[in-house]
Amino acid sequence: MAAYISGEMAAFRELFQRYTPLLQRAMARDLRSPEEANDLVQQTFLHLHRSRLDFEPGRKLKPWIFTIALNLKREYFRRSKRRHETSLEDDRVAEPFEGPRGQERSDAARETTRALSALPPDYREVIELHWFGGLSFPEVAEAVGSTVAAVKVRAHRGYVALRARLGEQVPEPEAVPGPKPSPEGIH
Amino acid sequence: MDCAEIRDSFTHGEVPSNAAVQAHLAVCPQCRELFEHDAEVGRSLASEAAFTVPFPDELFGQIEARVARETGLRAWLRSRPSKLRFLVALASALVAVALGGALALRSDFSAYPSARLVPLLGVYLLGICVALGQELFLSARRGSFADHFGLLLGALALPFLIALAPATDASRAFGPEGALGCFGYGALLTLPTAALLWAFDRDDRLSLRTVCLSAVALGLSANLVLELHCPSGNLQHVLLGHASLGLAWLLAWALTRRLSRIAS
Repeated sequence: MAAYISGEMAAFRELFQRYTPLLQRAMARDLRSPEEANDLVQQTFLHLHRSRLDFEPGRKLKPWIFTIALNLKREYFRRSKRRHETSLEDDRVAEPFEGPRGQERSDAARETTRALSALPPDYREVIELHWFGGLSFPEVAEAVGSTVAAVKVRAHRGYVALRARLGEQVPEPEAVPGPKPSPEGIH
Repeated sequence: MDCAEIRDSFTHGEVPSNAAVQAHLAVCPQCRELFEHDAEVGRSLASEAAFTVPFPDELFGQIEARVARETGLRAWLRSRPSKLRFLVALASALVAVALGGALALRSDFSAYPSARLVPLLGVYLLGICVALGQELFLSARRGSFADHFGLLLGALALPFLIALAPATDASRAFGPEGALGCFGYGALLTLPTAALLWAFDRDDRLSLRTVCLSAVALGLSANLVLELHCPSGNLQHVLLGHASLGLAWLLAWALTRRLSRIAS
């Protein structure tokens, strides 16, 4: 980051290569198209460029970038109100776009995606930053402006809710066809 | 062993199980949850994390092109450090107050009770600093328009509350006349601060949050100017000439936001 602040564009490219996959993975889950995710990543780096003189040497860069990205994502959802619409319709949670060929997702992976999407935003946010953004819990706390203890509580509650949802969605192999399945099982 | 290392083991395809893991699980309820039911949650999240999201090869070129377009005065101003942007915006508001007072100080200023002036200056300055700080610094707890609605209401109501407080004989004798002059005087002197706030904003499209906080800072600055300029304590005058400035700045910023969205 210091090299980039001093004007080296090669350092900017290195930052891009290091953080874009993490940002994409953490952002894409709530979005409906790769273009939306790409646009938010572009805006994140543009804001990073505009804010570069705010960066304090010795500070961790990753939580700082994710703070910028989260602010942009929240603003995006405020504008589009998509999250609100999604939360009003429990059985129509956002389904992230598919990956390239060779990365087709299994049914189990789709169920995990849906279970994650149905979590309360506060829980989902910390789980996504920790697992898909690659941030440690202290870094997540810094990125979301909370304490480590509060972030861990949110993660724990998110895991419990996720396990409950996965338990509902994954049918037992020997299960006999029975009465009408739960709404979360139908997509 | 910590939570991140447990996560990394899962994402490398293992279900970690050595002594160090057990010691960590004994004190970490959230990681314990990952291992419940044959590590269902840990495995599921790991498989999700393994799914890479593609991005086009030209993405960096697009970002580079956008960065290359960051030239000119506004690009330079918005990329200054936040502390400097904050101090310059605050200084601009204070210069407006000083200039407003120097050009036409209220006629009863010598009789103006300092017991009223000092706390009043403090309240106004605090409000301006809070609004500018929340607007110009990067924050992980960046609120929305709704989060700042209370601050906005307070800024709009403050001139009325101050008008109700006892002041001088001159302020009580003053009528509703001259409200338009006060409105123009306050608006004109805070115009440079408004231009600076627009130039300092780092978003390409103004957010509702920016609209709200800028209106708070500018409305309070304008009313502070007028507090030193106009002795009127008449509620009609205050409503039309002073308090309306906060609302006018709010509408002006909302209109700018609308126009910028149409333009983009």
